Amino acid sequence: MFNDLLFRLRSLFRRDAVESEADAELRFHFDQQVEKYIKSGRTREEAMRRARLEFGGHEQLKEEIRDARGVNLIETLFQDIRYGLRILGRTPVISCVAVLSLALGIGANTAIFSLIDTVMLRMLPVQKPEELVQLLRANFSGTGEGSPSFTNPLWEQVRDHQDVFSGAFAWGNSPFDLSQGGAVHYAEGIFASGSYFNTLGVRPAAGRLIGPSDDARGCPAVAVLSYGFWRDHFGGTQEAIGSTLSLNNHPFQIIGVSAPGFYGVEVGNKFDVAVPICSADVFDGKDSRLDHRSWWWLSVMGRVKADVSQDQLKARLGVLSPPIFSGALPKDWDDKGKARFLKLTLVASPAGTGISYLRRRFEQPLHILMGVVGLVLLIACANIASLMLARATARHRELAVRKALGASRARLIRQLLTECVLLSTAGAMLGIFFARWGSSLLVRYISTGDNKVFLDLTFDWRILSFTAGVAVFTGILFGVLPAFRSTRVSLTSAMKGSQAVDAQSRAKFRPGRWIVASQVALSLVLLVASGLFLRSLVKLVTMDVGFDRNNVLIVHANLHNAKVAPDQQPAMFDEIESRLRTLPGVVSASRSVMTPVSNYVWNSDLEVDTPNAPTGDAALGFFNFISPGYFGTVRTPLLAGRNFNDGDEKAAPLVAVVNETLARRFFPAGDALGKYFRIHADPGKPAPPIQIVGLVKDAKYESLREEAHATAYFPIAQVTEPVEEQVFELRTTTRPSALVPSVQEAVAAVSKAIPLDFGTLAEQVDDSLVQERLLATLSTFFGALALLLAMIGLYGALSYLVAQRQREFGIRKALGAPQNSILGLVMRDVFLVLGGGVTAGVCISLAAVELLQKMLFGLAARDTVTLLASVGVLSAVALFAGYVPARRAMRVDPMVALRYE
Amino acid sequence: MAKKRIDLPQGTLDLLILRTLALEPQHGWAISERIHQISSDVLLIQQGSLYPALHRLERRGWIKAKWGTSENNRRAKYYELTKTGRKQLELEKDSWKKLAAAVAQILETA
Repeated sequence: MFNDLLFRLRSLFRRDAVESEADAELRFHFDQQVEKYIKSGRTREEAMRRARLEFGGHEQLKEEIRDARGVNLIETLFQDIRYGLRILGRTPVISCVAVLSLALGIGANTAIFSLIDTVMLRMLPVQKPEELVQLLRANFSGTGEGSPSFTNPLWEQVRDHQDVFSGAFAWGNSPFDLSQGGAVHYAEGIFASGSYFNTLGVRPAAGRLIGPSDDARGCPAVAVLSYGFWRDHFGGTQEAIGSTLSLNNHPFQIIGVSAPGFYGVEVGNKFDVAVPICSADVFDGKDSRLDHRSWWWLSVMGRVKADVSQDQLKARLGVLSPPIFSGALPKDWDDKGKARFLKLTLVASPAGTGISYLRRRFEQPLHILMGVVGLVLLIACANIASLMLARATARHRELAVRKALGASRARLIRQLLTECVLLSTAGAMLGIFFARWGSSLLVRYISTGDNKVFLDLTFDWRILSFTAGVAVFTGILFGVLPAFRSTRVSLTSAMKGSQAVDAQSRAKFRPGRWIVASQVALSLVLLVASGLFLRSLVKLVTMDVGFDRNNVLIVHANLHNAKVAPDQQPAMFDEIESRLRTLPGVVSASRSVMTPVSNYVWNSDLEVDTPNAPTGDAALGFFNFISPGYFGTVRTPLLAGRNFNDGDEKAAPLVAVVNETLARRFFPAGDALGKYFRIHADPGKPAPPIQIVGLVKDAKYESLREEAHATAYFPIAQVTEPVEEQVFELRTTTRPSALVPSVQEAVAAVSKAIPLDFGTLAEQVDDSLVQERLLATLSTFFGALALLLAMIGLYGALSYLVAQRQREFGIRKALGAPQNSILGLVMRDVFLVLGGGVTAGVCISLAAVELLQKMLFGLAARDTVTLLASVGVLSAVALFAGYVPARRAMRVDPMVALRYE
Repeated sequence: MAKKRIDLPQGTLDLLILRTLALEPQHGWAISERIHQISSDVLLIQQGSLYPALHRLERRGWIKAKWGTSENNRRAKYYELTKTGRKQLELEKDSWKKLAAAVAQILETA
């Protein structure tokens, strides 16, 4: 084996010596043979001739010797690469176009794949991530997925009773306001149990991390920073350790920094600051969430002991569950709720890749996009394939000469394939740059004001091997057909002077035609998909949502730190509202507890006394507390009855304004006004009747995609419990964000300790359409790209065909064929290709669009309008792309064409 | 050509070369001449197969080459059997004999 390698290497590196040795050896043999023939009585000339005939091709023999020595594999690879580079360099424009379109294709694939990798496939950068599981609360029957949220008492039960994990930890997310009054500045925070860092095996980069001793009731307020936050906000200095940080206006002492590369266990989020769970007391005051038995704010993970199998884990959790849940039973629940709670059981779900809300939200869009970019790459490959085909035909003579000199067909095919892999490698390298840029652009795109997405986009081996694989695959894909076709050279015809190809030119175009037709088909599929997404998005955006999102500034204000007694807070809110109303540039102002499409929901079952009252899901009502100016400010029209007024105060009778859906569903007779309803309450608790005094138009509550919810609005003066954080809506005459400074000033005049968070209603609605916009934008972009590529393909293939048949056209014209008949000859090909491609494309689309149905809104996947429009656009562009070369064919001057020979 | 030539079965050429070299080191031309003579002009080895075979055997380490001087005083490349080559020759001889015997038996009895 080793000898063999040495031998090959000697052959390779002492190539010239070996080569001349082989030459000398063969010459010696030849001379011997000639001598022998002379001795047997032939003339020298005759002897030479005979020997030469016997000998066959000298170069061919040498080639075979090289093969036998095993040089060829490595050596010819270098040779092929060198030669390939030279060939590609000879047609720089074509090569650049090829590399560029490949780079786009491969880059897009890599970008989407890197998102799929980071969001769904990659393991957490912690010790032995495969051992981690997340704990869920599930029904006893084990149906449904289970809920991931825990109360602190429940977590403490788990922590104290479990014996299947070598370590278990809990954490809860919470934004922390770093500012001390004025505009809020949020850091991403987590409450971490004392076992959090230990169990994950994360080391400190400086200072120390939160440990079990930091997480006991009454603990001091300490904080651990993430490496990135430490670097960005504290310059990565040692002095930061021991200094204080203000979180929601409470001082925390920084004790350490976690290792770089660790961003928490939630993919898509990063943490800036971690504080012990016990420090929730600092924020909550006397009604602490630490002892709250129905405040679900924690998630729990464990590291399974090495000797515990999956089945053992499941069985043991089943046994452990009853005592754990009974130890954390919410005492104020009704009996039915308590019984349900006690039946819950803990289940474990693998969490080595971390957990992520992004998965559920973007899994489908990402897979669709992966399919889209895959198609784009295929189209790009088809383009390059037809390019290579055309070029290989132009190199017909070269290939024939090489074959005549002793190159085997396999050898020629390898040479051509090497050129293709060279192209695709160049494309891949450039593509990686595009991908890096593209994927971070995508992450920024799916980030919304409220929901910053953070992904660690460093490329790992999986992404790089994906790209390498794609590069080789595409190279072979677009190289194989041309390589096999063009190496089928007939030596005699090539040597005769090449024009024998003329007669077969129509046959030669056949593979080109197939390629272009498949491009047409694939781009039609992409056009249909992008058309569907675009139309969905347009429907969502232009739909009547029941409020006017333009020019509305939204201001979240929190009185927690303003140091006013809870019963004084409404007065303070009132004062702020009246000050805002008089600001210049404000048309009207109002306040509420919630805003539309804000990710927050408050709902409960409604009860009415009418017969056949709705039950189950239909009985669910959605609520909001609003000030009298609300409907005017967001422009939800009042249809009947009256709006709220200052008379609807706390002590006044309870009233509500309801939307059409609620009125229709609960009072089918159409007499809702003046009627009463109640909000479902636990037995023994009062459920006072609420009178309906007004009727408003339906407005979207949770998302634009929803069917209208039954919604009831209550006067904000009649809130059941004090609400510290309320939202102001300001309808403005100009750009809403221009009012931010004057709002800040106005609020500061009331109190300087009120943190404000600004946004606009339009942004809020836009943010809820991230998925839809992502799909529409990207699929349109790629659809257009595909169309462009396919048209370049069609144009190129036809131009090539026209150039080849130039002589034929010339003769036809010389013999009196009218121009139009020649135009027709070429356009016949265009129609053939287009017809075939469109038919195939329509069939594929009809079969495949069902997959997209879930992502669409307001239209069926087999949408005729979209399909027809796509076919129309494609045909128009294709005919144009075909017409240009066809015209050139028509204008062929017979004299020029014939003389050219 | 009066006598009919026979095509060599695959792999037999290696055996013949090894056997020829077992007597003494030889250059390529002499090898083909000798095989031609000993086989009473039945086997003619074409250069096209001889030289690739020689280089292949060299790569496998069964023969080695060195440059020497021929009878007519020219530089020529001489091949000689190596130790492993000698072993290989015995192996191949054996298996050839077995094969030949088996084929003969079938031809006679079947």
